[in-house]
Amino acid sequence: MEFDRELIVRAQAGDRSAYETIVNQFSAMVFRLISRFFRSREDVEDLAQDVFLKVFARIDQIRPDENFPGWLSRVTINTCYDELRKTRRRKTAMETYGPELTAEKSVAPTEPETLGKARLALQGLDPKLRIPLVLKEIEELSVEEIARTMGLTQTNVKVRLFRARKKLARILGVDEGNKK
Amino acid sequence: MNPLKDLFDDERKRVFLPGPSFTERVLARLNELRLRETGIWDIVPGSTRPVFAVALMLILCFFIVQLMVPLVPQRGMIEASLEAEQSPAESFLYNETEVPSREVMEQLIALEDQQ
Repeated sequence: MEFDRELIVRAQAGDRSAYETIVNQFSAMVFRLISRFFRSREDVEDLAQDVFLKVFARIDQIRPDENFPGWLSRVTINTCYDELRKTRRRKTAMETYGPELTAEKSVAPTEPETLGKARLALQGLDPKLRIPLVLKEIEELSVEEIARTMGLTQTNVKVRLFRARKKLARILGVDEGNKK
Repeated sequence: MNPLKDLFDDERKRVFLPGPSFTERVLARLNELRLRETGIWDIVPGSTRPVFAVALMLILCFFIVQLMVPLVPQRGMIEASLEAEQSPAESFLYNETEVPSREVMEQLIALEDQQ
């Protein structure tokens, strides 16, 4: 993505129009990444706002020669990871102590059953495994790019991808070799 | 047919786009956050901060001293208990701070002498 490095310098000096340009230029990318993990528009918008607020709060930490889009992706993924963990903890607590959640388990009525099951299985994965898998399979990033975005080693990413695929295949009863 | 492949294809198509007022909302939240973070120290220029701090300390000390030192009572417990036994003339003599006129003083002395 083309990026004017001067924007960062202006944003660091507190230029409001620079903030505006950054949001205009990158909001679509941030929305697309968050949409991979959250299905409600309100959640996506709230998280996208949080991402930009975090970015502007730490704008002094970024060097103008640094890869800003990459840094922004990292902040976005970290924000999604934190939110997914929180949601997972809340869900576990509700399943343990709260009333039975029948609505949560439901899928879109028009959706084929197998697709719904696959979606639930993916949503049920630990965020540690889900994020690299989504980045690989849906965002079509390379292992190297995922490692950079998540701050992991490439080996670690490969291990997580392997575990995620294995777990999904086990839940869905799919032959792993028949995935693509 | 592989359900995972179908799911990934389906998910690839599902993307939310920012609304027209998204940028304004982010900037509004940013302003709100900055206003909340701005404290009194951010308003005071750096060079005047020590003077401001000393002035604040002195004001604080003054109020503490004011609270600690009790006020001198105008009328204590003893005065209050003796007051009931005093005649109006005695009360006038001992409690009034203003000196009465000469005629009043003579009348009071005459009253005392009669008693």
